[in-house]
Amino acid sequence: MMDTKIQAFFADKQDLLSEILERYPDYGQRSAVMPLLRAVQDAERHVSELRIKEIADILGISATAVKGVMSFYSTYHEQPVGKYHIQICSTLSCSLAGSDEMYDYLANELDLVNGETDKDGQFSLQKVECLGSCTTAPVLQINDDYYENVGKKRCKHLVDSMRENKLEKPWRERKGDHEGAEKAKPLQKTALKGVS
Amino acid sequence: MDNITSRHDPRFEVTMYKYMGVENSHKLDFYEQHGGYQTAKKALTTMQSVDIVNEVKASGLRGRGGAGFPMGVKWSFMPPVDGRQRFIVCNADESEPGSTKDRFVLEDDPHQLIEGMIIAGYAIQATLGVIYIRGEYHLGYTRLYDAINEARAKGYLGKNVLASNFDFDLILHRGAGAYICGEESALMNSFEGYRANPRLKPPFPAQAGVYGFPTSVNNVTSIASGVHIIAKGADWFKSMGTQDSSGFHHVQISGPAVRRGVYEVPMGITYREIIFDLAGGVTEPVKAFIPGGSSCPMFPFTDEYLDLTMEYGVVAKAGSMMGTGGIILIPEDKCIVDALANVVHFYAHESCGKCTPCREGVSTWLPKMYAKLLAGLGESGDLELLEDVSHNIRGRSFCPLADACIMPVQASIKHFRHEYEYIIEHGKSMYAKKSRWQE
Ligand SMILES: Cc1cc2nc3c(=O)[nH]c(=O)nc-3n(C[C@H](O)[C@H](O)[C@H](O)COP(=O)(O)O)c2cc1C
Ligand code: SF4
Ligand code: FES
Repeated sequence: MMDTKIQAFFADKQDLLSEILERYPDYGQRSAVMPLLRAVQDAERHVSELRIKEIADILGISATAVKGVMSFYSTYHEQPVGKYHIQICSTLSCSLAGSDEMYDYLANELDLVNGETDKDGQFSLQKVECLGSCTTAPVLQINDDYYENVGKKRCKHLVDSMRENKLEKPWRERKGDHEGAEKAKPLQKTALKGVS
Repeated sequence: MDNITSRHDPRFEVTMYKYMGVENSHKLDFYEQHGGYQTAKKALTTMQSVDIVNEVKASGLRGRGGAGFPMGVKWSFMPPVDGRQRFIVCNADESEPGSTKDRFVLEDDPHQLIEGMIIAGYAIQATLGVIYIRGEYHLGYTRLYDAINEARAKGYLGKNVLASNFDFDLILHRGAGAYICGEESALMNSFEGYRANPRLKPPFPAQAGVYGFPTSVNNVTSIASGVHIIAKGADWFKSMGTQDSSGFHHVQISGPAVRRGVYEVPMGITYREIIFDLAGGVTEPVKAFIPGGSSCPMFPFTDEYLDLTMEYGVVAKAGSMMGTGGIILIPEDKCIVDALANVVHFYAHESCGKCTPCREGVSTWLPKMYAKLLAGLGESGDLELLEDVSHNIRGRSFCPLADACIMPVQASIKHFRHEYEYIIEHGKSMYAKKSRWQE
């Protein structure tokens, strides 16, 4: 049964609530459903039935409507995810850079399978689709942050750092124009033919 | 003088990506110090809306979100101003596998996008703009969120933008992990707080878009290109590329390339130059490349295809699409059936389930057939069945997502049929799985 002592999520967050609602025009208040779901989930690592009902009441729509929206997307959770929600990109570019082995490694190391959370609520492991970071594959998303170019060593370090509750900060190490136009200059001249 | 079609050309200068990776490039101070918001000022104080639409039309800029529709022409489809609210929507849902060009702007130069939105809003007389950013782009979201607040505080957004008589504000909206939200009508449903199923077209967004109001939906780098077109003129933009495809685009190279990354390139550049000169060549033998994100049919890695120029028409004539410019290299010893199973898995997972060909075909049949082949259980007739199923899905779905899955499948069979035949005949892939994970 639900704990009746739990107070409404937004009860003590009126500023956040009005900031979200004010983003949208009066006639479009329903647009706030996604940011409201996200606000709850960011704080509670999932969105419970109780919160769904609360959001429905705020927007004046049915709980079924809110659930319908929620279930459409892959990043809202009905059950709490772990403190470290490890999401492994498994799509083509990452797969070509070893994400399948990375998954095997993490699954083995954490003793979890895809979609599972450990009993202490520390780790969740989930395969996800392309994260939009293909040029720095393989990529992990841990909670909100992207970890790019995750080689074997780094992956091990990341796991160690999470076990010590000191997750490493993400690094940014990208080639191409991100290094500046000078460094990104053509390396070779295979295509010089015909250029004035 | 000849047009610029190579990054070797000394006249080529990186424009949109100039400040990528530079410290603090996402802050307003930095942006202003580098000429930021001067173009919006020029637009709002010295130009009429119609001048902007005409300049963008003259530039020949084609949408960078995948379909390549000319942006100025799309803007000109907006109905006459009639007192109703109008919207400009920026599609920052970037989820097509292989694509990561928008993220660089969102994270490292959010003010450039805001300036582009002001100009676009003014062009189509929309006083509200929506930026729909994919839910996973957290850094991009926070930077854009802060940037919007900075811009508002400085009078770049709000009432009387830049002391003109144009009011404009932005709504930043986050997705939650669904590729279909990149399809413009699904995006609008998602934004409005509904399930993100695509809508029937017509009506098109210009007639009935966000909340039923006239709307134009444009990609991040399309909108940001507008800033430079207005700053430097349509002729400058057209000095790059070709008649068919003007200006610059961004290529994103993944797979076994020496220097994987994102590069701004003039249109008309060859794939050879991109892969060998910019990306520095390959780290292992490659047999195919996908030219523009996973939905674009692959090309064999041969001279014939490497010498193609990056132009919408040329790529289409060769049987594929320019797409988002996300180039994926496929190694020689990667089983093509395995590679396509991965692609199919993506689209199967992302199907919204609204229409039967996609729900039954893409979401159910195709993954099953690939699983069967990979499990070594293929039988004679399976390849023909796969072709038949693909043929039956193609062109019959409610939105283009199903075709986005079918086209790469068909291309893989066309170019690498022997690998399918091998796996069916021998019960195993032509190439064993090998370790690809680097130290
Ligand atoms: C399944 C599907 C996914 C799409 N995803 C995106 C996307 O992530 N970003 C994008 O800009 N356009 C995407 N599009 C194209 C949009 O529908 C729309 O054409 C585009 O945003 C228009 O902007 P543009 O003209 O500047 O390219 C997608 C289309 C389909 C059918
Ligand atoms: S093609 Fe797929 S994604 Fe598009 S409407 Fe049909 S089921 Fe939905
Ligand atoms: S395939 Fe992993 S980020 Fe795109």
